[in-house]
Amino acid sequence: MNRISDRILVGLTWLSGIGMCMVVTGLLLFLIFHGIRQITPALFFGDTPWLKAITGQSPVFDGIWPAVTGTVLLVFLSSAIAVPVGVASGIYLAAYASSRQRAFWGSMVDLLSGTPSIVMGLFGFTMILFLRKTVNPTAQTGLFLAAVCIALLILPYLIRTSQAAIAGISTHLRLIGPAAGFSKWQNIRHVLLPLASRGILSGIILAVGRASEDTAVILLTGVVAQTGIPRNIWDKFEALPFRIYYLAAEHRNATELEQGFAVALVLLFLTGFLFAIAFLLNRYAENRWRIRRYQ
Amino acid sequence: MEPAVVISNLEVLFFGKAVLKDIHLSLWPGRITVLVGPSGSGKSTLLRAINRLNEFFPDCQTRGSVSLHLQNQYHGDIYQNTIPLSDLRRRVGMVFQTPAVLPFSIEKNITMPLQVTVGLTGSALTERMTRALQEVALWDEVKDRLKSSANTLSGGQQQRLCLARVLALEPQILLLDEPTASLDYKSAARIESLLLNLKERYTILAISHSLSQTRRIADRVCVLRQGQLIQEMDRNDMADIRTFQGLMEAAF
Ligand SMILES: Nc1ncnc2c1ncn2[C@@H]1O[C@H](COP(=O)(O)OP(=O)(O)OP(=O)(O)O)[C@@H](O)[C@H]1O
Ligand SMILES: [Mg+2]
Repeated sequence: MNRISDRILVGLTWLSGIGMCMVVTGLLLFLIFHGIRQITPALFFGDTPWLKAITGQSPVFDGIWPAVTGTVLLVFLSSAIAVPVGVASGIYLAAYASSRQRAFWGSMVDLLSGTPSIVMGLFGFTMILFLRKTVNPTAQTGLFLAAVCIALLILPYLIRTSQAAIAGISTHLRLIGPAAGFSKWQNIRHVLLPLASRGILSGIILAVGRASEDTAVILLTGVVAQTGIPRNIWDKFEALPFRIYYLAAEHRNATELEQGFAVALVLLFLTGFLFAIAFLLNRYAENRWRIRRYQ
Repeated sequence: MEPAVVISNLEVLFFGKAVLKDIHLSLWPGRITVLVGPSGSGKSTLLRAINRLNEFFPDCQTRGSVSLHLQNQYHGDIYQNTIPLSDLRRRVGMVFQTPAVLPFSIEKNITMPLQVTVGLTGSALTERMTRALQEVALWDEVKDRLKSSANTLSGGQQQRLCLARVLALEPQILLLDEPTASLDYKSAARIESLLLNLKERYTILAISHSLSQTRRIADRVCVLRQGQLIQEMDRNDMADIRTFQGLMEAAF
């Protein structure tokens, strides 16, 4: 009896694993099949020579290059805001908060993570309206506002994963520092954070993925179909997910629809690239933490 | 000579329940005091009361006093904040029941606490680390792999690494929670002779589950049962193995 249920369970786990791989492969193949033909220099840069486009010497009107830079800027800006805040909140919840504070703030974080992204967008939008009526009549939606709203969106992932990563460290390891005379902060800085870095990284990866794909937030906070590379962080910007949405919803011919698939592929590889950066940074930090003594 | 540690009327409660009560105990420099008692009798808790590590756990209360007298530097009750907590814990070194090495390199397990708490760097740091590893007889086994992970060491090697980490901080009082629990006969014997050497320089309180080991290293044995010290024995009581065993059996 036990053996049979055991085998069924093993079979099921295998099936889910295989199913999962098949779905991902299927998705990739589908995108490649429909989009690969459109992945050309023209898709990125239109008629502009690529070197001039990349160095910013001449604007790109017909390609997705501005959308690529827009998305990259958006991800970096929102991560720059959300990662320090999120990790610090995670540290607070795991190491400083009393159990009552932890329950209260934890439910707040859950609430934030349950908030639909369109609500975050509306929040940003209302904020601009408010600013216009009060201190700054020329306030406008733009890259910075979008980054702030995206940061709010990804904050819960960062908080929860860092909290879990720190709380998951065994008591044996947590006691080593204090027993040697570390202050609470020294223990966090030299023991807990290094040991939790892998978990924190997984939160950052989730957050980066979420930041690069969200459309609802930026729709209301400054994305436009065509504006070129933003000149500063208050400027309007283009973004890949919006480009995909736009191409899919308003395509005039089959080529444009194929372009939509191609852009989706580009977005996928861009996020993969960002993950790789996060991973390499973490590995570098881990090597430093684990082996080198810092002088 | 005056005792280095004087515990009086100590009571420790977890979640309102007394785990230790009415403890009176003095520890002298140059002597090894061994704490024995059944599992769950509060031995580890008593050790942690001496470096205030019980406070790390939720809902723990400590009453009574633990006074330190360290080479004319500190006199006073550690629970009255006469000694900064980090100083106290550096001077009262503790080795845990389960060897806990950090998943860092072997070298860093020893150098990191030294850098953080004492601020040592450069050759002084290397020297301190080497000396600590030699003292616990681990140096020859690890000198060629200082940069590899401490997790790759065997259980007994890890235990010695933990001891080295504590010794490197140059404490004055040593609290050892079953320091030879996961060691083979030979390594245990080596640690025992190490402790006998160290006792000249330190005040040592150790927990042991082995009666023969207790007989070999202890200058004094304290028996703990259900949170109370119920018996003390000195070398004379241990001289004859039969009387010692009789006393222990009566105690347990
Ligand atoms: N952090 C804690 N929270 C609640 N209760 C605790 C805590 N630590 C210890 N206790 C309780 O205190 C009692 C004594 O525990 P302690 O670890 O001191 O025993 P011990 O004598 O060291 O036993 P062993 O020989 O098994 O290590 C036990 O009943 C235990 O359940
Ligand atoms: Mg114990």
